[in-house]
Amino acid sequence: MTSHKAPMPRGVSRALDGWLRRRAAIAKQPLRGAILLGAVNGLLLVPEAWLLARSITAVVFQHRGLAAVAPSLAIILGIALLRALLSHGATIAAMAASTRVKTDIRHALHAKIAALGPGFLGTQRSGDLASLLVEGVDALDNYYAAYLPQMAVATFLPVALLAFIFPVDWVSGIILLLGAPLIPIFMILIGRGTERLNQTQWRRLALMSAHFFDVVEGLSTLKLFGASRDAAGLIGRMSEDYRLSTMRVLRVAFLSSLVLEFFTTLGVAVIAVFVGFRLYYGEIQFLAGLFVLLLAPEFFRPLRAMGTQYHARMEAIGASERIVALLETPEPETPAGVAALPAGSGILRFEQVSFSYAPGEPVLEAIQFAIARGERVALVGPSGSGKSTVARLLLGLARPDSGRITQGDIDLASIAPDAWFRESSWMPQRPTLFAGTLAENIRLGAPDASMPEIIRAAEAAEAHLFISCLPHGYETVIGERGQGLSGGEIRRVALARALLKPARLLVLDEAEASLDAETASLIRAAIVRLPRDISVLLIAHRLESAEAADRILVLRQGRIVEEGTPATLRAGTGDYAAMSALYHEGAA
Amino acid sequence: MRDFLRLLRLLGPSWRWQATGILLGVLVIVSNVGLLALSGWFIAGMGLAGLGLLRIEYFLPAAAIRALAIARALGRYLERLVTHEATFRLLSDLRVWFYIRLEPLAPARLQRHRAGDLLSRIRADIDSLDNVYLRVLAPSVTALLCTVLILGFLARISTGAALADFLGLALVGLALPLAAFRAGRRSGRQAVALRGQLRAEIADTVRGFEELQVFGAMERQTSRHEAAYAQLTALQRRETLVEAAAGGAALFLVQATMLAALVVSIPLAMARTLPGPDIAMIALLVLASFDAVSGLPGAYRALGQTLAAARRIFEIVDTEPAVREPAQEAAPPTGFDITFRHVSLRYDDAEAWALRDVSFHIPAGGALGVMGTTGSGKTSLGNLLLRFWEFQEGEILVGGVPIRTLSGDTMRSYCAVIAQQTHLFNTSIRENLRIARPAATAAEMERALRDAGILDEVRAMPQGLDTMVGEMGTRLSGGQARRVAIARAFLKDAPILILDEPTEGLDAFSEHIVINALGRLKQGRTTLLITHRSQALRDIAQVFELERGTVLCRSKT
Repeated sequence: MTSHKAPMPRGVSRALDGWLRRRAAIAKQPLRGAILLGAVNGLLLVPEAWLLARSITAVVFQHRGLAAVAPSLAIILGIALLRALLSHGATIAAMAASTRVKTDIRHALHAKIAALGPGFLGTQRSGDLASLLVEGVDALDNYYAAYLPQMAVATFLPVALLAFIFPVDWVSGIILLLGAPLIPIFMILIGRGTERLNQTQWRRLALMSAHFFDVVEGLSTLKLFGASRDAAGLIGRMSEDYRLSTMRVLRVAFLSSLVLEFFTTLGVAVIAVFVGFRLYYGEIQFLAGLFVLLLAPEFFRPLRAMGTQYHARMEAIGASERIVALLETPEPETPAGVAALPAGSGILRFEQVSFSYAPGEPVLEAIQFAIARGERVALVGPSGSGKSTVARLLLGLARPDSGRITQGDIDLASIAPDAWFRESSWMPQRPTLFAGTLAENIRLGAPDASMPEIIRAAEAAEAHLFISCLPHGYETVIGERGQGLSGGEIRRVALARALLKPARLLVLDEAEASLDAETASLIRAAIVRLPRDISVLLIAHRLESAEAADRILVLRQGRIVEEGTPATLRAGTGDYAAMSALYHEGAA
Repeated sequence: MRDFLRLLRLLGPSWRWQATGILLGVLVIVSNVGLLALSGWFIAGMGLAGLGLLRIEYFLPAAAIRALAIARALGRYLERLVTHEATFRLLSDLRVWFYIRLEPLAPARLQRHRAGDLLSRIRADIDSLDNVYLRVLAPSVTALLCTVLILGFLARISTGAALADFLGLALVGLALPLAAFRAGRRSGRQAVALRGQLRAEIADTVRGFEELQVFGAMERQTSRHEAAYAQLTALQRRETLVEAAAGGAALFLVQATMLAALVVSIPLAMARTLPGPDIAMIALLVLASFDAVSGLPGAYRALGQTLAAARRIFEIVDTEPAVREPAQEAAPPTGFDITFRHVSLRYDDAEAWALRDVSFHIPAGGALGVMGTTGSGKTSLGNLLLRFWEFQEGEILVGGVPIRTLSGDTMRSYCAVIAQQTHLFNTSIRENLRIARPAATAAEMERALRDAGILDEVRAMPQGLDTMVGEMGTRLSGGQARRVAIARAFLKDAPILILDEPTEGLDAFSEHIVINALGRLKQGRTTLLITHRSQALRDIAQVFELERGTVLCRSKT
């Protein structure tokens, strides 16, 4: 089947090839071992062919019996055994080389991901990165375990065999010498022509596949509109179009293998015919002729395998493209602070903080506010107004472009990130549950928490009841993306996690989203009951939750447009009063 | 085995291409074996003739050697073209076949599997079925035919040599790969499972990166990954050991078979029952004959994958549709009031009732609001009206006609749905609207967009109606996607409207715009509004609350 990877411009693929080769430096020893074993294996073909040719000559021309050739045949068997062991060893050495490089690359990728941090990760699809680290790195196997060692053997072996063939029969030697170099030349010429064609073809395949699965995914919507049966015809037509255009490309693309086959097979045929006629005229010995005929296919074998190797190389290069792109992504330049966090209870202040994810598109502009120790502040505003960004800045997950955030009078930027994280707890808008048990997830930020403490946190988050109803309770193992739990349940587990961690700053981003009204009000009450030495920033979707705060900040298009107690804001004429009216007016 | 036979039957429509591909494959291998065997025979004969020990007509074999070389090269080219042609035809047949069988199952029978999981599984499974001919069938049949031809020829020269070759081919082509497959199967399966687990955990780490930072758990998570990588490497090492052992053993067996063939045929040459050149031919023929089985190990590996994929695909297409269509359709209703009489539904015999004894009536053009928490069964009401699910007890009437006597397509043509997860197709806004009314004019589309309150925004987009909405509508904001879906419902102009949490996940401003648009859409249509928010039900005359499938309280305001 044709490869699903897009072919790339020649210059790019050469650069990636260089990168892959440099990475091999770490596995020099096992690679050398694999190449050496492969080369010795290949060289053993010479005595094997010689002994076989001699035995057959003895039988056919000297009428010798089995007894006379038995010793030679026994040695051949011995050589075969030795070659089998060498091939076994070469495979294992090559695998060891590949493992070493892959482990090294995975380390580098993990380090890079950590260094790039959330700003970068936010732009990536988590599933893509995960398969890059697992399958993407494994796809390099063929490069180190097959392509590199076998290409080395393939360049060495034909030359070495030629060195043995020439003294025995120089005519055959010249035939081989003339035929061999033509093959790569032709392959390069034809390969260049098909490259561009391949590129458009690949796009078509991707498009066809995407269409098929888009239709499958939207099947119930199609059914709603009575259009689902027409889609079958469309799927058939698209695959037909794809077949026709692909076959046009393949007719040209396969020419390269035709040329390869033609030269290698014809080379053997020409040698056989030439040897035959010279034997007829008594110009060479049968022993020499048979020896050359036995080695001729072996001379071409590595060259023929080049097609397969070339494919393995392209596949690895395709896989390396995204790995290299990730490793070469520039890291954020701001150096992390190192200072320890002084004890005490200073006021948290945003001082003229501006922030943007992309230049020219400010998310926050000159934000200014303060949170006193133990104060509950709510942040409201339409989606896209920058609420979650304020939370990320406050938590130290992002740094302001200008302005500063201070605790007491100390700039957060000067404090070691881990020290600040230790003081904060957070429930994000889209919480993640990690593979493991529910208990492990709740005690993520307090690994030493006891079971009663976990249960107390779960009770406050209204999660205890449903967890105790699960067959394995707190020991329930959760799957990917919290599989098995509903959206509301995941959020309540995440809330328990945020409440359990001892912290002096708690950020709750939409703590009540996708919960029914009753659960939401119970959770609101739990937040009100929190100890009064914890400062809380509440990001609210529902205005009820904002009403419970000491103070409300209204954010619009990256600016704070209103600030005050719930009662004063409701009585005013600003955004909050307008939103509140809309909200309570309800559905039309 | 039954799955395999069924899979073979699926290959049907393009069998001529497939058979031609296989015959060409046989031609390629037989030409190569013939080339080497004939070359050995030819040079030995020419040597003997040169010494005057044999008379030889040399013109014909010399020409045959060259002809075989050309046949092999050209045959290979044609074989690759024809097998690919066959594969693409198969790909097209399979996708249409699968789609036609999947269509009646959506959505009821597909909900049991998690959506994303099901889809990615289908994706991979269909891809591996595409390869059944190229990777499994063609190499196996080619190997069988070539082996028969080669051994048949060899047996006429020396039965003993043929027997030796047969044993060697059986060992290298069948026994060895099967043994390797068995030895590597367990670690292979473990590796697949481990990869899946690793992928999920790394995805968690990426998604939850900031949480791991804030909660100080990054190091714990990284060491977890390191341990899994080490485990994966160990499994791969075990797989490689098996592969390396099988490769080495095959190399040894090829040489040993050739030697065995010589050992049995040399005494025949001594006894003058076998001409001298045949000895050279036997050696080269036996060595080359292993070409015939070289594709088998790959075929076995692919066979396991393909059968597993086929089993999963068959399992899906064999599912009974959730709703049986009536043999003969009743006359269509003239009015569109909706009556539920003591309706009970459960999704599975082993499960609790999703709806229990639910009764209500919505007058034509009227509205009913249904409130309830997640899992209360409120979404099931819509699924019943749309004939996506079958109910076990009671009766549902539309305009006085029992909906069981109407086909699913007819019922669905009466309903328009706005739900949280309405699918937008990855094409332009225009094409997404056209699904509702294929013949819609630009003016009709613009009116629908205006009624949905999104016309100005669409006009402001650089490509207007031709703006691509992206995969699952991701290039539009949540509120915009919802309003495109509303425009689609306006175009469909159906008498019944099902609104299932129509504003969930929208911020207060987008919600306000969507609610206004829905208000216009509701005019004159029988409406079922499902929500968990009481504010959304303010001006709806009839409201009831569902809890665990039963009606809790009714209110008329």
